[in-house]
Amino acid sequence: MSSRSGSRRGYETSDQLTGHSAAPAVPESSEIEAGGLIFYHMDLYGSKERFDIFPEELSGQGERSLGDTRRESALSSEKIQHSQEAGYDLEKEVAELAKMYGLDEDREKELELLGGHPEMVESRWPSARTEKQRGLPGETSQDEDESKARAEDNAESPMRSGEGLSSSGISDEWNSQAVSEEEESGDVFCSTCKIPIRAFDKLFGEHKDHEVTKLPNAMESEKEEIHKNMCKLEEQIAQMENFASHLEEIFITVEENFGRQEENFEVHYNDAVQVLAQKYEEQLEALGEEKRQKLEALYGQLVSCGEHLDTCKELTDRTQELYLENDKANFMKAAITMVDRLEEFLKKEVDLELSTVPDFEERVIDVSEVEQLMNSINIIPAPCAPVINPQAPSAATGTSLRVCWSLFSDDTVECYQLCYKTVSNERQHTLKVKETYCTITNLLPNTQYEFWVSALNATGISPPSERTVYVTAPSPPTINSKKIRSCENAALVCWESGDINPVDSYTVELSKLADEENGDTITESIVGIPNCEVLIHLQPTQSYHICVRALNLGGSSERSDPVLIHTTGTYFCLNEDTAHPLLAILDDGFTIHPESVPEYTTPSVFHRCIGILGSLIPFPGKHYWEVEVEEDTEYRIGVAFENTPRHGYLGTNNSSWCMRHIITPSRHKYEFLHSGMTPDIRITLPPRRIGILLDYENCRLSFFNADIAQHLYTFNSHFQHYVHPCFALETPGILRIRTGIAVPPWTALP
Amino acid sequence: MRWLPLCSAAPCVKAMALKQVSSNRCFEGFQKVFEHDSAELKCKMKFGIYLPPKAETAKCPVLYWLSGLTCTEQNFITKAGFQQGAAEHGLIVVAPDTSPRGCNIEGEDESWDFGTGAGFYVDATEEPWKTNYRMYSYIKDELPKLINANFPTDPERMSIFGHSMGGHGALILALKNPGKYKSVSAFAPICNPIQCQWGKKALGGYLGSDVSKWEAYDATQLVKSYAGSPLDILIDQGKDDQFLSAGQLLPDNFIAACTEQKVPVVFRLQQGYDHSYFFIATFINDHIKHHAKYLNA
Repeated sequence: MSSRSGSRRGYETSDQLTGHSAAPAVPESSEIEAGGLIFYHMDLYGSKERFDIFPEELSGQGERSLGDTRRESALSSEKIQHSQEAGYDLEKEVAELAKMYGLDEDREKELELLGGHPEMVESRWPSARTEKQRGLPGETSQDEDESKARAEDNAESPMRSGEGLSSSGISDEWNSQAVSEEEESGDVFCSTCKIPIRAFDKLFGEHKDHEVTKLPNAMESEKEEIHKNMCKLEEQIAQMENFASHLEEIFITVEENFGRQEENFEVHYNDAVQVLAQKYEEQLEALGEEKRQKLEALYGQLVSCGEHLDTCKELTDRTQELYLENDKANFMKAAITMVDRLEEFLKKEVDLELSTVPDFEERVIDVSEVEQLMNSINIIPAPCAPVINPQAPSAATGTSLRVCWSLFSDDTVECYQLCYKTVSNERQHTLKVKETYCTITNLLPNTQYEFWVSALNATGISPPSERTVYVTAPSPPTINSKKIRSCENAALVCWESGDINPVDSYTVELSKLADEENGDTITESIVGIPNCEVLIHLQPTQSYHICVRALNLGGSSERSDPVLIHTTGTYFCLNEDTAHPLLAILDDGFTIHPESVPEYTTPSVFHRCIGILGSLIPFPGKHYWEVEVEEDTEYRIGVAFENTPRHGYLGTNNSSWCMRHIITPSRHKYEFLHSGMTPDIRITLPPRRIGILLDYENCRLSFFNADIAQHLYTFNSHFQHYVHPCFALETPGILRIRTGIAVPPWTALP
Repeated sequence: MRWLPLCSAAPCVKAMALKQVSSNRCFEGFQKVFEHDSAELKCKMKFGIYLPPKAETAKCPVLYWLSGLTCTEQNFITKAGFQQGAAEHGLIVVAPDTSPRGCNIEGEDESWDFGTGAGFYVDATEEPWKTNYRMYSYIKDELPKLINANFPTDPERMSIFGHSMGGHGALILALKNPGKYKSVSAFAPICNPIQCQWGKKALGGYLGSDVSKWEAYDATQLVKSYAGSPLDILIDQGKDDQFLSAGQLLPDNFIAACTEQKVPVVFRLQQGYDHSYFFIATFINDHIKHHAKYLNA
């Protein structure tokens, strides 16, 4: 580490010194100075104090001496192997090191100045200077000036100064480090410059080659180390930046928190002060009142006392007058009345009790309120009513709801009391919850629930929140897989709702199956379907998994069980509601044959023609299906409008088109009937498998002998409405209907 | 390098040199008439050829049309109105003449239903006809070779159809050469010539009195022994065709034989139509499509 730091320093200084004008002259001066420094160095080793002052010198010293040796070796190598590349490098290196040396010297000076030991400089410099001057009188002044200037520069560099300062208080650790550094510096240079100090003399000869090759490697490793350190530094910078931003955050938080507390205190203390002021007013008033009453009482007493005194005085006067009366009769006469009066007067008790005490009543000053106020600064108030959030989009499942609420004050809350009930039912449930949310389970799907919540703490319970309605998600619908109709480009899917209550809409999710793997990725969603039926556009000759979700305000239901749809050919189902009572549909759903027992007929069924309609997807394009027949089966097959008359035979009206097969005594007769008309067509080979192509785009309905791709007949008709396949039997027999067959290419042309 | 085979074929082309008689732009293609020296018939023969626009860039299948009694190569190309359908489906349509001409055979121009204009698509074995009246071989071999050598055709894909005597020709060529033609169709064909006046006269004249030899050129007889690749035969017949009621065409015999042999035929009896090219023009597109389905499959 120490060697690295030393060499790094070397890099730094050499960087700083690029373009040094005195470069060629430096090596020589450095050589001379090196001796002087070595001399001082020894001295410094002896004196720890001094060493502390010159930390840079120590590292620089080795470099310097090495620089000298290297220079010499470089010179020799130059002489011996002038052509070698490394020779140039070495020379350069030497020059750089020499510069560095110069810098070290400058730094030394600088450190001395910083260290504030001028006397040491004084003592040290003269000898160095003299040596310098002695060795190179012409160069010295220039060198010194430059190095001084550089010293100033370096003094401004915080790193340098920091190093210098930190080193001033150092110790043995530094010392030992420095020693090892010096020792290693020989090795270091050995590896980097290929000239170990001790092997200096042995360098000439075959060793040179070896050294030259080593130089770039050493440089590389050094650069690597530097890079690593750089990275570490960058990491630290990043860490510190993070920490700083964290501190900033905390700073803000502290400011906020304390600000809030200050406000709180202000409010509470203001309250307290107000209360106190009020108390003071009250006390003062009470005191004044008491004083007034007392004074009034005393005054009254004083007045009555005065009156009494006056009466006494008057009586005394009268008595005295009487006493002085000489007329006996008068005297007696007056005396009697006087005596009575006196007696009467004296009878009156003279109230000499003080009606009131002069000192005021003792008053109990009630500070309990203030106390409470003061205490309440640190005592929590009962919380305010929380507010329930509106239902979040994903808060509901079919059986659960996640209810959230919040407080709009900083009240301390220990827990919440959550109540809920269905909107229609009065039965109420209550839960205690610690958090500001709760997931309630075991609920009914697609149902509205009312929620309200109160906050509780040690002080009390808040008023309840407003009631908020949440809705559970619906139950998954059930796809009616038997009624799925599809063709190459579309599918008509219908389903049944899983709930009694209506839902808002349905979403159909379809995933295309690729290479038989399970298609879990939804490739497409169709949203906002209001009814239990949707026509989905698909790509031909693919397989799709289709499932449905029901949606309400609360969210979407689970997926329905998926159904598999192949878009190869057209699939349709038979509409049993149209079947003639004699007609039976076998278990596979696509084989029909007439039964023998007639039944009651309803208007929607065919009751003359023993027929049935299929339910074809209402979608333009091409639809192809096949019917397998026995050679002797008499049938009518084709298409018809949904509302084709049930009392008529297929093909006899203008709402149905069909191929009819009947057996005449002479031959198989084939008719292609529409509105009761047929062309005269002979078919020599009775078809066993009849292909029927309904092509809305090209306005045609074609019949084929599918076994040999033979075109039999084509109706050219522009179908005004969507048609459905129709099938009828004229004699007992079996028609096997085949769907899901790709349109054969040979149907393209008749 | 690709041109080398053509260069090597040049002498052959030279031997069967074609002379263009006419060329008319038609539905982005060309309706042309050529004349050539027929080795088979030993006379100059003309044929009409329609080249669809597709033929400019690709090899096209060829559909041969055989005309009826008294016709030349002109009737079909001027009256049938097939060119639009042929252009649409990329078919080359070749319409040869109906017999050798200018052979100076005694009696060749005596009647309209024998000799000139009534080759009947047989190889005559009787003098004086047997040298020139080799329409069967001409249609079967020489003409296709000539066409394939001079036009951008796909030799593997060819079909045949015709009208009346030509319908007979188309049927016998298809039935006698299983697999050679991808499909066959006919307008009011002479289905059973050994049973009708026209047939008896022509076959007797060209082949001699041995009726058993006639059977080799009778569609109804041929179908009874047909065991080749499945043929999808389309036949249109005007219900008001005077030759139908005259018993010259006898489609019922053919249908019966086909029913018996389980050879698939769709026979359409078209109400109100006669034997004319107006009837042909009405249903020509159905036939073009019928052939296009197999030729372009």
